[in-house]
This record gives sequence, structure tokens and C-alpha cells, in this order.
Amino acid sequence: MSVRTLQGKRRWVALGGCLLWLAFTLFPLYWVAITSFKTPIAVVGGPTYLPFVDFEPVLTAWNELLSGERGAFYNTFIASLIVSLSAAVLATFIGAMAAYALVRFTFRFRLLSALIFVVVAFGGFLLGRNVLGYGQGISLIYSFFAALALAVISSRFRLPGPELGNNDIVFWFVSQRMFPPIVAAFALYLMYTEVGKLGFKLVDSYVGLTFAYIAFSLPIVIWLMRDFFEALPVEVEEAAMVDNVPSWRIFFGIVLPMSKPGLIATFMITLAFVWNEFLFALFLTSSKWQTLPILVAGQNSQRGDEWWSISAAALVAIIPMMIMAGILSRLMRSGLLVGAIK
Amino acid sequence: MTRNDPIKHFFIWPALIIVLLISIFPLVYSLTTSFMSMRLVPPMPARFVGFGNYADLLSNPRFWHVAGTTTLIAFLSVGLQYLIGLSVALALNSRVPGEGIFRVGFLLPMLVAPVAVALVARQILNPTMGPLNELMTLFGFPNLPFLTRTSWALGSIIVVEVWQWTPFVILMLLAGLQTLPDDVYEAAALENATPWQQFRDITFPMLLPISTAVVFIRLIESYKIMDTVFVMTGGGPGVSTETLTLFAYQEGFKKFNLGYTSALSFLFLIFITVIGLVYLAVLKPYLEKHK
Repeated sequence: MSVRTLQGKRRWVALGGCLLWLAFTLFPLYWVAITSFKTPIAVVGGPTYLPFVDFEPVLTAWNELLSGERGAFYNTFIASLIVSLSAAVLATFIGAMAAYALVRFTFRFRLLSALIFVVVAFGGFLLGRNVLGYGQGISLIYSFFAALALAVISSRFRLPGPELGNNDIVFWFVSQRMFPPIVAAFALYLMYTEVGKLGFKLVDSYVGLTFAYIAFSLPIVIWLMRDFFEALPVEVEEAAMVDNVPSWRIFFGIVLPMSKPGLIATFMITLAFVWNEFLFALFLTSSKWQTLPILVAGQNSQRGDEWWSISAAALVAIIPMMIMAGILSRLMRSGLLVGAIK
Repeated sequence: MTRNDPIKHFFIWPALIIVLLISIFPLVYSLTTSFMSMRLVPPMPARFVGFGNYADLLSNPRFWHVAGTTTLIAFLSVGLQYLIGLSVALALNSRVPGEGIFRVGFLLPMLVAPVAVALVARQILNPTMGPLNELMTLFGFPNLPFLTRTSWALGSIIVVEVWQWTPFVILMLLAGLQTLPDDVYEAAALENATPWQQFRDITFPMLLPISTAVVFIRLIESYKIMDTVFVMTGGGPGVSTETLTLFAYQEGFKKFNLGYTSALSFLFLIFITVIGLVYLAVLKPYLEKHK
């Protein structure tokens, strides 16, 4: 028995508090579940609480939803599933690689190289758009690659100015989350439209939406995975290095299998984020790749106060994540999330 | 220990290029348009106005009102989330009976789409069909205007935010609590320290770094609040519960006033950065003291 275990009366006070909070947490979920089984008359007639006692449960709302009367439900569900699964898998994988590099390798570059990138990207874009008269898409692509090339080349030379390292890169990744999403979403929509004019359809497409979600999940993935990798014992890798095992095999053969719990936890957090995301889906999709949150929000504006059908639609968005929660908490119990934050 | 190996570029560049590509355009685009007067409806040729948009915004009382509302919602809800989250995490960490069930149950709200949460909240707070007003009537209160009177609407939004995001605080703090070493508590028990003393002198100081990070993340995310308010009140009554993101949405996509919206988001970014820096500066001495 741990020294930190509560004794006597305190234990019951804590239990009471927890029960109270559990009731507060679960009541809304219970409410949405029973409302989806009510008839319209039962909903309008005032609150009722217990199925079979207060009201007779019916399947009207679910039949309507599943038969497609309330919008292209299957299509949306599948689109949501494909986009969030692939975005979460790819983001976790790419982010884990970057996080590993940031933990185990040394990166050094001058602040000046970063400044060159920003200045050339800005200047090239403005030059291309306003002076040379290219479209926004073309000037963006040109200036981006020119900036990237110049920044990489400049880092080969010994430049003056302060030197940046791994922590600065991590900070830069994480700081991407501070930009107001509304502007990012709208600017991304413009960018996709411009690229669309060049022949690549990105708005309302699988590639466009998934790519956006990968980019916006990467900061969190890198932040979480970095802590997981830091907690790994470095000795195993050192032993492998002595045997001249190449770095990529150390990563794929040793490090990834060892950090499977961290990868799973990160994957689930990313999956929940993508599954529930509203703003980007609102801007970047219109019909074919529309996701569930958009469909759920649409129920409200189209149908007014038809709570029974809104509840059923909301539940479809909620239930897959509930299953996730079950798995996540099972992983948590085994102390797998402990390494995530120190 | 870090090492040097050319393969590191293979590891980091995919992530770097993706994030650069998707973050630089919004930045370039919105910074340049923020210095221009640009409307799509009615169409108007873009015109350079310098800091005009910024000056307009800073002298617009609605901007200050919106910033104030957002700050109020963010600080009150994050404060409550932290208080409740810490208490629950402490209780769970000291093995209350039924801890396993609590852990699963407490996590759920975090995983529900904010849009769905707001829709459920609207049902529960509905004046005639919702259960909450019936409960209130039972206790002898009149029918309360949860979403149609400013102070009640703000309170409701804060409660919904607390409902949804306290789980995140619990999750992080619990993970932090589990890493605290047992021997400190054993020593404290030998000294006959009361539970309150243990909390004040051991648990809280040792938990400070993770607390700082959790509150920081929640503050920044709370400032971006949009879908909950959008569905619950639409910013009403009037504009009294409008938040910064919602204001930007109204200006940008109802009025298509792009220059103005871009300037607004840069002010927003500066605002968040300042709050973040002040927050970290205030806490820094405490963090270093307990290092």
C-alpha cells in the first residue's frame, strides 16, 4: 500500500467528489443517448428520463438517419473514417521520425538562414504576384522552393549571428499551434484554389484534406513523441551502433518497436483531433469529402429543434471515439502515458 | 547525448517541409493582406492602406469587447479546469475506490466533437424541453434564460468548456503525479506531515512544471474557441458572447472584409503571444526555485 493512499474520512470525501464529477460528466452523454430513441412528441412534451418508464423508446430517428433521409450519411462516415485514419497514421509516422531526429541527432544552423528563408519566401511571393504578374499559386511555389534552396545553401557557409539548435526547432513546431486557425483555414482554402487552377484538385479532395490534417497534427505528435523517445534508454542504441547497424535500421528495427505504447497513445490523440475537427473541414470540403462534424452541425441549421435526429447524428460522431477512449484508458492504466510528460 | 549522421536529414525533412509548406502561405498571405483594403463582396480592387486596418480595429470598441469576452471565457474556464482537474487527479492518484471506472468515464468528454457537445448543451439548457430548467423549477427558481441573457450565456459557455476540457487536465496531471518519487512521501510520513502540508510542500511544487505546461496549452487553445460558441449562442444575445475567432469569421466570411480579418488575426496572434510571455515570465521564478 502506497504512502500516498488516502485514509479514513478523506477517502470517502474524495469518493463523493469523484462520483459527483462522474455524474456531471456522464449525464449529457446519457441524455443524448436517450433522446435519440424518443419520438418527436416525447421530446417536445418536456424532459423525460428513463426509457420504458417515462417514455417508450422508438427507432424513428435511427431509421431516418441510416436510410439516408438526413443527408449522405454513409458517404460522410466513410470519408471521415478514411481521412482521420490515414492522417493519424501518417502524422504519427512522419512526426515520430522527426521527433527521433530531434532527440538523437544534433542540428545546428544560424538564425540568419532562417531569416533568409522568411525574407525570400515573402519577397519572392510579393515580387512574383505584384511585379512579374504570375498567379498566386505559381509565385508561391517558386518563392517557396527558392527560399528553401537559399536557406539550405546558406547554412553551408559560416554565417554570423546566433546559432539555433534542436530545442529551437521543437519550439518552432509547437508555436505553429498559436496561429489563429480561422486565418490558416481560409488562407489554405485560397492556396488550394490557386493550386487547383494549375490542375491539381485539392479543395474537397482526399489529398488536400489529409495533407492539411497531417500538417496541423505534426506539432502535437512531435511534442509528445519527443518525450517518449527521451525516456527510452540510449544504451540499446549505442550497443547497436557499436555493431555498425545503420541508423535507419536502429530506428525501424529497435526504436519503433520499443516505443509502440507511445506511438499508440499519440496515434489516438491525433485520431481524436482529426475526427472532431470542424473549421478546416468546413473550408476545405464541400460535398464528396465532407466529414461528420460538418454533417452534425448542419443538422442544427437545417432542421431547427428536431432533437431526436440531431441526437442520433451526434451519437454517430461520438461512439467511435468512445471506443477509442476505452482502449486509451486501458493503455493508460499500464502506465504507458507516464513517459509522455515529465 | 546526440550524434551526427547525414541520415538525420532523411528523418526530419518530411515533417519540416509539410509544416513549412502549410504554415508559410497563411502567414505570407495574411500579413500582406492585413496592410491592404480588400473586399470580395462588393468586389473592390485591393488598395494599400498601411496600418489602416490595425488602427481601425484598435479604435473599434467591438474589438476590445470581443477581446475582453474571450479573455474572460479563457481565464475563468481554464482556472476552473485546473482546480477541478487537480482535485480529481489527486483523488485518482490516491486510489479512491472504483478508480478504474472513473478513469474511463472522466476521459470521455475530451473525445467528443465540440460541435456535438454544443448541440447537446443546447438541448439540456433548452427552456421548455431541457432537463436543467425543470430541475431549477423543482428547486423553486423561475425559468432561467441560459442562452439568451448575457451573463447566463457566458456562464453556460464556461461550464461547457469545463465539461469538455477538464479531462485533458486530469489526464496530464495524473501522468505527472505518477512520476513523482515515493521516497519523498515516505520521508514526509516519518516527519508526521499532515496531508495538507504534503500537498503544499511536496506535491504542488513538484507538479508545477507540468501544471504550467498544461495551463499554457489550455489557455492558448481556449483563446481559439469558436465552434462551441457558434453553435450554442451564435455570439448572441447581440454580440455579447462573441469571441475573437467568431468575430474574425463574421468579418471575413459574412462581410468578406479580408484585409480587416487578416489584421484582426495578427492582433490576435500578438495578443496570445503577449499573454503567453507574461504568463511564462510570472511563473519563471517559481519554476526555477523548485528545480
